[in-house]
Amino acid sequence: MLALVLLIASTTIGAAEPGGNGDGLRNMQCGGACHGDASQNASSSLSLSIQYASQVWVGQPTEVTVIVSGLGEVHDHELLGVFLLSSTNANGDTPLSDGWEILSDGHGGTGNYVELTSIAGSDSIEHTWVLRTEDLGPKNMYASIHHGDSAGPSQGQPFFGISDGYEVEVAPLPENAPRLSAAFDPASTREVGVAIQVSIQTEHTQTVNVEWRAEDGAMMEAIVNTTGDNEWVFTLPASLKPSSVQWRATLIGEGPEQTTPWFTVVAQTAPEEADSGPIYLQGLAMALLLFGAIIALQKPQRREEDTTKVYDNTAHIESTQSTDQEDAPAPLPEGGLPPGWTDEQWAWYGHEYLAGTYGGDQQ
Amino acid sequence: MISSNTFHVVSTELVVGGFALAGLAFVFCMIAPMLPSTFSDRQGAGDAVAHVALAFGLLATPFAILSGLSSAPGEALNSALLANKMLFSLSGGGLALGVLVARWRNGGGVWDSTRTRLIQGIAGAGATACMLLTASLGGKFTRGESLLDWLHLPYNEVLLMPTFLSIALLLIGCACAAVGFRSTS
Repeated sequence: MLALVLLIASTTIGAAEPGGNGDGLRNMQCGGACHGDASQNASSSLSLSIQYASQVWVGQPTEVTVIVSGLGEVHDHELLGVFLLSSTNANGDTPLSDGWEILSDGHGGTGNYVELTSIAGSDSIEHTWVLRTEDLGPKNMYASIHHGDSAGPSQGQPFFGISDGYEVEVAPLPENAPRLSAAFDPASTREVGVAIQVSIQTEHTQTVNVEWRAEDGAMMEAIVNTTGDNEWVFTLPASLKPSSVQWRATLIGEGPEQTTPWFTVVAQTAPEEADSGPIYLQGLAMALLLFGAIIALQKPQRREEDTTKVYDNTAHIESTQSTDQEDAPAPLPEGGLPPGWTDEQWAWYGHEYLAGTYGGDQQ
Repeated sequence: MISSNTFHVVSTELVVGGFALAGLAFVFCMIAPMLPSTFSDRQGAGDAVAHVALAFGLLATPFAILSGLSSAPGEALNSALLANKMLFSLSGGGLALGVLVARWRNGGGVWDSTRTRLIQGIAGAGATACMLLTASLGGKFTRGESLLDWLHLPYNEVLLMPTFLSIALLLIGCACAAVGFRSTS
């Protein structure tokens, strides 16, 4: 009981999960998974805002940037969970539910939730998604945040915040404007040490220029080759360590020039492929070994009473003796044999005579 | 339709609950002769609680393992944590099954001698430790923290044996079980 009381006393109610849950596609309250219990959330004092392009074209990728400010002023936190949402329903509220396609979450994935690490000394942090929709008209967007507090009186407490709604007007692209094809699907990851060849499919495009930048911000021009009508290809050099590069293309044609959003390509070390077979085999071997060891060590004990049954025939001998005694002739009464009895009769029926049951008569 | 993640949470709670109760009862039974008679007289109850709770936890274990595999992101066992979970849960399951079979074969007499009492108690508590460690690994995998963090256990290292050694252990385990089942001491 004391141990249980100590354990309970050492925890905080509804603590935020310090390790986070990883990037992904999550609803606003992520089913209560990001924080232990969504009902325990306190209001975050961080400011959230959304920036997006002045013109969002239907069918074309567009950047949406969430800016979190006020870091370090009130809360002491390291990990921030940032959501891009289409509503505040807390369920079915990801951009996908509103007709958006997430081409990039900036971390090499395609989710609406990313976990960011705050930078010491900086009071704001921003993160950019690249989205695309085939729907015309206004669409709402919200930014939301989950975080904890690693110090002070609210240490361990989960905080939640959400921005005001931002309305994005999705407009039709001018008819002859150069554009990315609907088939264009940007790569978002690659392995460390491997150069990647990026293919771009376009429409109404005569020339494509590509520039890319590494994490240090240095801008580079890429050599773009055409492989067919409205088919373009360029190469991003290999990265020597896990890092990200961003690239964007300028599409030139008869219509107004178009510049794509920055697409992020994350270089990461591929997880080692583990063969599950040996692990299952080892687990099974350990289970069987431990099982066998217990069975061998805990063999049933041979009990004393069992030994008695096998080797002690006292009861049998006694019963035999008793039977032998009964088979012996009854002792003669005083005065010798009853009148008219022979020795042989006495040997067989003497006991009955003495018991008074001889001849079926009670004596 | 219930998702495998939710089913995994439910089944692991059953496993952990059953094994935790069994672990306490096994420790109690192991030390009962050293306790005042007020407590030691309850050894029979402790024996029943220990083995019934262990059997309950063991029954829920396969569901926890299977739902855990299907709810893990990506391919199964692509993380050292998941591999360790598999090894610990199977080891705990083997220990628990051995303890239950031993109790079935020996009856309450398993607590009569010091030697068998210690083996039964330590094995039962060991099975509980394996399962609690498995649950702790699950917390580390999903939330990044666990109750056993203060132990600084090397969660991300897998002690993987060569296949021939696993097969050898498998055969030794079979031999031990065969010897145990065929003879009495």
